[in-house]
Amino acid sequence: MVTTDLTQLVARLLLAPSFAVAAAVLVKGYADVGDGFSAGVIAALGVLLQYVAFGRREAERLLPVRYAPAAALAGLLLALAVAFAPLLRGDAAFTHYPRAGTEPIHVGTLELITAVAFDVGVFLLVFGAVVGVIRYAAEAGEGRRA
Amino acid sequence: MRTLREGWLAYAGAAAAGAGLVATGLLAGAELDVAWAPTLGARLAFALDGIGVLYAGLATGIGAVVLVYAARYVPLHLDHQGRPRREATRLYAFLLLFMVSMVGLVTAQDLLLLFVFWDLTAVASYFLIAFDRHERNARYAALMALLVTAITAVFLLVAAVLLHHEYGTFSLPELFAVAEPGPTVTTAAVLIALAALAKSAQVPFHFWLPRAMAAPTPVSAYLHSAAMVAAGVFLLARTYPLLEQSRLLLDGLLVVGMLSMAVGGVLALTRDELKQVLANSTIAQYGYVTFMLGIGGASGVAAASFYVLAHALMKSALFLAAGAVSETTGETRLSRLGGLGRDRPLLAAGTGLAAAGLGALPFTAGFFKDELFFAAALERGPAFGAVAVASAALTLAYAGRFWLGIFTGRARGERRRVPALLVWPTVLLGALVLVGGVAVEPLARLANAAASVSFGATIDSIPSYHLDLRAENAMALATYAAGIALLVTSRLWSPFAEAAARVGERVGPERWYDLALLGLNQLSDLIHDVEVRDLRTRVAAVLVPAGVLVALGTVATPAAYELGTVGRGDVALVLVLAVAAVAAVATTLPRHHLTLVLILSTLGFSLAVAYAFFGAPDVALVAVLVETIFALLFLGVFALMPRLVLRREAALPTRPNRRWRDPLVAAVAGFFAFVVVWGALSRPAPEESVAAEHTRLAPEAHGSDVVTVILADFRGLDTLGEITVVAVALVGIAALLRRGRLW
Repeated sequence: MVTTDLTQLVARLLLAPSFAVAAAVLVKGYADVGDGFSAGVIAALGVLLQYVAFGRREAERLLPVRYAPAAALAGLLLALAVAFAPLLRGDAAFTHYPRAGTEPIHVGTLELITAVAFDVGVFLLVFGAVVGVIRYAAEAGEGRRA
Repeated sequence: MRTLREGWLAYAGAAAAGAGLVATGLLAGAELDVAWAPTLGARLAFALDGIGVLYAGLATGIGAVVLVYAARYVPLHLDHQGRPRREATRLYAFLLLFMVSMVGLVTAQDLLLLFVFWDLTAVASYFLIAFDRHERNARYAALMALLVTAITAVFLLVAAVLLHHEYGTFSLPELFAVAEPGPTVTTAAVLIALAALAKSAQVPFHFWLPRAMAAPTPVSAYLHSAAMVAAGVFLLARTYPLLEQSRLLLDGLLVVGMLSMAVGGVLALTRDELKQVLANSTIAQYGYVTFMLGIGGASGVAAASFYVLAHALMKSALFLAAGAVSETTGETRLSRLGGLGRDRPLLAAGTGLAAAGLGALPFTAGFFKDELFFAAALERGPAFGAVAVASAALTLAYAGRFWLGIFTGRARGERRRVPALLVWPTVLLGALVLVGGVAVEPLARLANAAASVSFGATIDSIPSYHLDLRAENAMALATYAAGIALLVTSRLWSPFAEAAARVGERVGPERWYDLALLGLNQLSDLIHDVEVRDLRTRVAAVLVPAGVLVALGTVATPAAYELGTVGRGDVALVLVLAVAAVAAVATTLPRHHLTLVLILSTLGFSLAVAYAFFGAPDVALVAVLVETIFALLFLGVFALMPRLVLRREAALPTRPNRRWRDPLVAAVAGFFAFVVVWGALSRPAPEESVAAEHTRLAPEAHGSDVVTVILADFRGLDTLGEITVVAVALVGIAALLRRGRLW
């Protein structure tokens, strides 16, 4: 694939911001537009851009892409854990803590609630799955051309 | 030592079964009742009452004997077939699963629980019958046994639901207390009886049992003598208080029992394979039990109960003997066997006792089973007494034919050495038959305890020998005379019996089963062909019926549909939607895949804009992101495909029949989807909708973005399901592109 220096420069410059935007969308999910799913896709788009601009070899040298499926699995397990851990305390599944009406712990303007942990699980799963698919497809394409 | 290591599961299982037998004796009367699914009214209710003790005792006692036998038999069986010996563990495991389900079944006091264990036994029996899975016969037989017993099991479930609907409980003791004669109870009782008759291989469901002889011998000895087929008559005994509400149903059982005695008896006389003789004999023997339950009353129920116990001992002994005989001689057919008695006296003695018991000779437990049987039949009427004598004579004839054919006459077949453990179980069970014939009281007490539970009143008559010419003794003498006459004159009647068997094969229920299976397969193929031949027919199969249903709804109730107006503020939205509509139509035009992808994403993006206009920024954001990544992934996937294929596909002309069909399907579905959406959105929103409630509750759940709160909290379980799909998709793509290696 032929890419110009400018494409590569823009791609490299956009990588960190796309992760930053994803992080913002993720942690602000409960207060503002966006959630774990959107954050996952945004971050994955950033990675996809690297593949387009630099090719598979360079992109995978730059980023630890091979852990993507593991991240997806970890995300699923995290979501499952947050969802069903309340059963151990005798509460219904998907009970989030702190319970409704009680004041959560604040870190700056950030509120710590278990629902956000669930959203982080969604983020990891979506991000990992999309990046995994990108990687598999890139690999298969390379194999076909070779 | 080696066999101990290989068969550890069998020996451990046998020990556990032996312990279970002892526990059954010690814990008689114990009860366990735990809530299971309170909202359904289902309880984990078990009780070791008379019926439970009888059948659980048979399941564990004979199970222990069979497992010990299997530990020596199955490795030999596998050696003959050149299969590794470790596969035996599978058989032991399923035998144990079967045993546990059987014990659960016979102690369950709740109809739902009963149904669960009922199906568990069917599942375990499937794997046991299909143990020789490389043989087509075994697979066919296993599927047949599963279908016949599991489809009819649904009747049991329906009956449970019917009774629950009427009386509000699944608990059997409660049902017995409140059930009164009436259409509901009769219907439920008929359904239960159908399930039971199929399980006990009674006419017209009997055909699966001879087929199931494709199973290894220990499986037949267990399932087809003391356990699986016994489960059917167990169910009849367990639900007897419901069955006896309808005299007509009991008469039906009487007829089915007689038919089964006749069919099984005649077939058993014609068969040449040892196990086929025994299988058909089992049909006839459980026919006796069904017959006696149909007679009903204290004597009928008590006789049935004793019959089950005596028959299980004898029949499992005979099956085990059949296995030992074929291992010794290498033959499985009566016509190629003979004279084994001189070389294997111990086996001949054990088998002889069991066969004598089946033929109801004196000094065996079998004598009493027929004494009770004759008494019960006579109570109903002299004609039934005659039927009883005739079928007992048949039994004596095939029991005699079986034993005489193997152990007397000219010596035929090989004389291989077999492990002693293949012979001793038969001898042990045969000895029990003898002991039961001398001191019948313990067996009779067990049977009476079970019969008392069925009958609902204490039954304590103990049969004994009488040296006078009472009716039962006269009938027994007539039976012996007729049975011996049948044996002596076999040349005369065997052509007729063979002809009857052939007619049964030609037009019997097995043929209906095959035809029904074939018909269902063809129907399924037909529907498959119509619906899923290609993607278009598949989509059309959903869209056209949906469109037609909506059309019917609109035409039938025009008043329910309101046509809203388009205000000035909606102009922008309408414009965006018009763009989307144009894009949607445009997707049908391009021939090149790349263009198609781009138009599809145009459609997606215009819908995203529509969401933004609707004031749904979350949805709009997700739509934009999804469209972006999907368009890119689509392009990536097309890059994977060979150019040539893409070009060839693009050049294919549209088939003529599609030129009109596809637009028509699209128009019908699209128009009526538009009508229903337009109508639904035109209605004024209800005051307190789910959406309004979610919006109200969101701040309390620490969120101000209601969409995220719904996803992570209110509807979290849905989200969990959806993200699981994403993970499964990832695994699927890995399977397609890199043989399942995730990393």
